[in-house]
Amino acid sequence: MKYEDKVDLYDDEGNLLAKDIPIEALHPYKNPYMGEVYRFMKRTTVIELEKLEDMLRTGRVGWSTIVGQDEIKMPWYGFDVELVDNAEYIADELVKLLQVRPDDGTEVRVLEGGTILVVQLSDEVLNRSYDTSPAFTRVVTALGQIITKIANLHPLENLYKIGLVKSALWGRYPQTVGTPPGHPIRPLLKLPSELEGLGNGLKSIMINHIAALADMRTMWALAIGTILEQGAAAEMGYNVGWYERYMLLTSAYQGFNANCLVLDLIKENAKGTVGDVMTSMLQRALEDGVIVKKGDKYPWVLPSGAVVWAAPDLCLWNAYSIAGLTAAAIVNCAAARAVQGVASVIAFFPDMLIWETCGLPDPDAGRMLGCGQGYVFYTHGLYGGAAPGAFSCDHVIVKNTSGFLTPISAACACLDAGTQIFKVTTTSGLYFTIAQEFPIFRNPMKRVAEAAEKIKDEV
Amino acid sequence: MAAAKKKVKKVKYKRQYYPGPDRVSANRRRAMDSSKRLTKFRSIPDDSLVELLGHRFKGESYVSVHPPLDELVEKYDPIKEIVEPTPGARAGDRLRFLQFADSMYYPPMAPWLRARVYMSRLRGIDTVVYSGRTLLEMRERDLEQAAKMLIETHIFDPARVGIRGVTVHGHSLRLDEDGLMFDARRRYMLNKETGEVEYIKNQHAEVLDNPIPVGRPLTERELRAYDVTYRWDVAPYKSRSEILTVLGRAAAGRVLMGHNPELPLVEYGGLYINEGEEWIEPEMLLPGSRERTSPEG
Repeated sequence: MKYEDKVDLYDDEGNLLAKDIPIEALHPYKNPYMGEVYRFMKRTTVIELEKLEDMLRTGRVGWSTIVGQDEIKMPWYGFDVELVDNAEYIADELVKLLQVRPDDGTEVRVLEGGTILVVQLSDEVLNRSYDTSPAFTRVVTALGQIITKIANLHPLENLYKIGLVKSALWGRYPQTVGTPPGHPIRPLLKLPSELEGLGNGLKSIMINHIAALADMRTMWALAIGTILEQGAAAEMGYNVGWYERYMLLTSAYQGFNANCLVLDLIKENAKGTVGDVMTSMLQRALEDGVIVKKGDKYPWVLPSGAVVWAAPDLCLWNAYSIAGLTAAAIVNCAAARAVQGVASVIAFFPDMLIWETCGLPDPDAGRMLGCGQGYVFYTHGLYGGAAPGAFSCDHVIVKNTSGFLTPISAACACLDAGTQIFKVTTTSGLYFTIAQEFPIFRNPMKRVAEAAEKIKDEV
Repeated sequence: MAAAKKKVKKVKYKRQYYPGPDRVSANRRRAMDSSKRLTKFRSIPDDSLVELLGHRFKGESYVSVHPPLDELVEKYDPIKEIVEPTPGARAGDRLRFLQFADSMYYPPMAPWLRARVYMSRLRGIDTVVYSGRTLLEMRERDLEQAAKMLIETHIFDPARVGIRGVTVHGHSLRLDEDGLMFDARRRYMLNKETGEVEYIKNQHAEVLDNPIPVGRPLTERELRAYDVTYRWDVAPYKSRSEILTVLGRAAAGRVLMGHNPELPLVEYGGLYINEGEEWIEPEMLLPGSRERTSPEG
């Protein structure tokens, strides 16, 4: 064990889940449950058969924006093919085409009366590939062959219809770097060519989708968001060496309700403001020795009487300040029951904290404040922005923290009572279905804690 | 929770809001401190406020964007049970906005301070600070209540703070001949007979049926007393040295924590040195280096 730090993990109702967990048991590369989530995200692809059928009938392919999906229509190339009715057949054929050997874990599930297929590739395919491309490429190629077979197309007779099949399955790729927005075949994570940068893959999912996967439960969304963000952070090299303890402590406190800090802060300030949550957080930090008063004279007390607080352990201080920020955002958004305010809390809580503590480093060494400023601008109509939840976690606006911003947004998206245009139910209906069908996302806090309990003696 | 219970002696954390020994800092502290009341300067009837905001007609019922929370069927989430929703949220009101533009000529409030005031004093808010103006978004009936506090107290000066939903330009422009902040939409004017500023248009610059008086402009003396910005003739440069210390400390802390949060550092008055290194009083240092000014020093 590298670090002495141990935490108790609590669930969102305040029940103790696991005691004295070394923070390394919550490492994205060590915790078994977190590994399961990454595996699931990488190997799963959703196919909307009904939409695909409609596209092939109307010749509607290759659009460029989510709202302009009828931009190109070529009904003269369209043809009728019954995909939904043949969903079971397609599923069986897909397994045959995609598996490396029989019973290697390749799985295709038929959902919602055949309108949706969920394909899961085998570990063999992913282990041997450079990135997660096969979750798209192999699936669409297999699907193309099956559709050609069902529709009985032949290049000598229906050359252009076969061209349409390509456009429906691949979009404009390779003219564009990826598939069109709202494409009927989509892996849970973005295509590698569409990523914002190295190692962003695991967090290339929309914030609203995380809320849907968490079944609209605030602290579950925090946990799932943290799992994905920390996985990406590890892949980007954010938690190597110097930063390992910093990342582990902060993610434990923010995402997995370590020592019940976030929940306690929310409970204490059920009727409070953002400023009140800050006071409670500092009270807790003072009690636990995270902030100390080093002396009674200048420079530790300024002439005005303001105490210059010091933090002997900056990693732990960061964990506390981000837990405070998380609780403040949740309290603010839960009071208005609207997600809109999350960005401004992220932008202004750190600013208030700097002055309150007389210059202790603010959450994530200023990255929360900086990122929050951009986020608050681009989530408001004045600058023609989108809803806080409509950003992908690797979007250039929200990606520039060490992975502590988007879990907060996902948590607050769960608290929205329906004030947004881009509601979770509007943007992410499919992900509710996935969460229901695949129980891996049920109760993530408990499962992280159980997994950590299992490995706590080995780390 | 467990760790907190073990402690025998409980130290109480006292909010300090903001450093600074002078009046300007005290004004900033006072505005942010929700336990302190803001001085009431004027009284504006509720109906007039509704008209000024311009989101609904006076007497009109609130439009809702979703059913009241009591009737809403939602998935189980303990946090929703814990945190109390605001009255507007409970009723399912729309989210509406109120935007203030603050002049740079001795205003009693400044855009960056507004965000801190809103965060300390109001629940369920959303705010954005732009250059010279600050947006506040809340549920409609909560917003009306907040507007009463924000417009009736000393942090609103009819002449130098504008209620502007659109065309907010004016923050850095010279005041007009009556001492009012420039407004391209001419939403307000000085009534020379009563000496009060009257809004003839609402915040969206739609003409009102009747002008709404919002009180007299604050006098120069009052403005200087309530000023929240450091300037040559209110609080001289040196008086903010405490604030500059804090700013420097925060900046250094960010760089050092961002570089390596595990660095063993010794800190003294906002300055950091490596552990084991000898401390040199700042005034003995050559500017920009860790060298002493003289070998004897």
